[in-house]
Amino acid sequence: MNAYVVYCHPDPESFTAAIRDRAVDGLRNAGYEVRVSDLYADEFEPAMSRQERLNHMTPHARHPDVGRYCDNLRWCDTLVFVYPTWWSGQPAMLTGWFDRVLLRGVAWELPEGATTVTAGLTNVHRLVVITAHGSSKFLNVVEGETGRRVVGRAVRVLCHRFARTTWLALYNIDRSSAAERQAFLDRVERRMHGLGQPARRTSSGRRS
Amino acid sequence: MRVVLVVAHPDPNSFSHAIASTATAALTRAGHAVTVLDLYAEEFRAAMSLDERLAYHSERPILDPMAERHAGIVKHAEALVFIYPTWWSTVPAILKGWLERVMVPGVGFVFDEKQHVRRGLTHVHRIVGISTYGSRRIYVRALHDNGRRTLLRALRLNTAIFTRRSWLGLYQMDNRTVEQRAAFLRRVDRKLRSL
Repeated sequence: MNAYVVYCHPDPESFTAAIRDRAVDGLRNAGYEVRVSDLYADEFEPAMSRQERLNHMTPHARHPDVGRYCDNLRWCDTLVFVYPTWWSGQPAMLTGWFDRVLLRGVAWELPEGATTVTAGLTNVHRLVVITAHGSSKFLNVVEGETGRRVVGRAVRVLCHRFARTTWLALYNIDRSSAAERQAFLDRVERRMHGLGQPARRTSSGRRS
Repeated sequence: MRVVLVVAHPDPNSFSHAIASTATAALTRAGHAVTVLDLYAEEFRAAMSLDERLAYHSERPILDPMAERHAGIVKHAEALVFIYPTWWSTVPAILKGWLERVMVPGVGFVFDEKQHVRRGLTHVHRIVGISTYGSRRIYVRALHDNGRRTLLRALRLNTAIFTRRSWLGLYQMDNRTVEQRAAFLRRVDRKLRSL
């Protein structure tokens, strides 16, 4: 069981950093081997360069600073994204990570004449997003929940055919109480721990 | 109208830049005042820094002179035009970062006393998005076209109440013939001349 956590927040003392710590605890306690990438600590460059754009269709054309991310992507069976939602989606840092790391020969293949990519990350059976929103659930639905769809659809199609997605979100964070935030952190750790357990169903039919 | 045209493509020889030239010419001919913000040419920084994050809710959320200049231009805009290639169903990182670092509280929106978001771009009456896609239209729709939604919904919520929106998409970009691309540029020209 290999879990790869991609974490993105500029502030090491943010609530998002606390989420990452609790998620990693939950995964480790469940028996996962965990690797973490901290994009801000790595000083990752999110803007795809002109040369990378020109090499886009060339398989295995990796810029040197993305190689280890590609290796981690191929190593994991559980892929976890931890980030704050800004303008209804991922921060530019993580958007750029998708742009530059999801490469041909790593994350996708394009058969001759096809217009849609085929999955390259068939090793990934579980996608997890853990995020905090400043705004309400209602406002995010009106805005179109673009961050949720980017992972749940655009990244999801690159994974194993039967990959499942888990979405954990805290809304209205600026107006939340300390108790609500604490409860969310507990929920994150519980759910991450639960990923390592065989599925059980309660009498009401819900997954426990 | 005062139009701000935002372009996000790393290659100056790209089709996105051809679209931008066509759009600028069409708008100028129609008598609009156009300001082009070519994010890659200006080497706009995509990622919000720690200092900017910490200043986000303060009186002065913009720390970078380039972001400040862009915000000053946006504050006088009556129309916003975005031109970009769609990658992973959404906008390129540099354009996402532009929204995060320029459309800050006091520019893109304002917080009221209850910390609720209120419109900040009430001077903008028109949003136009032009994007190129590698996939077929039906596939783009299935993936939810998140870049389009970010601009026509999330950003639209902050502009004037009766803001009109337009979207022009060139799908299956890599399989298009020269004639089809030229036809798309004519479509861009027509749309922007009648803005």
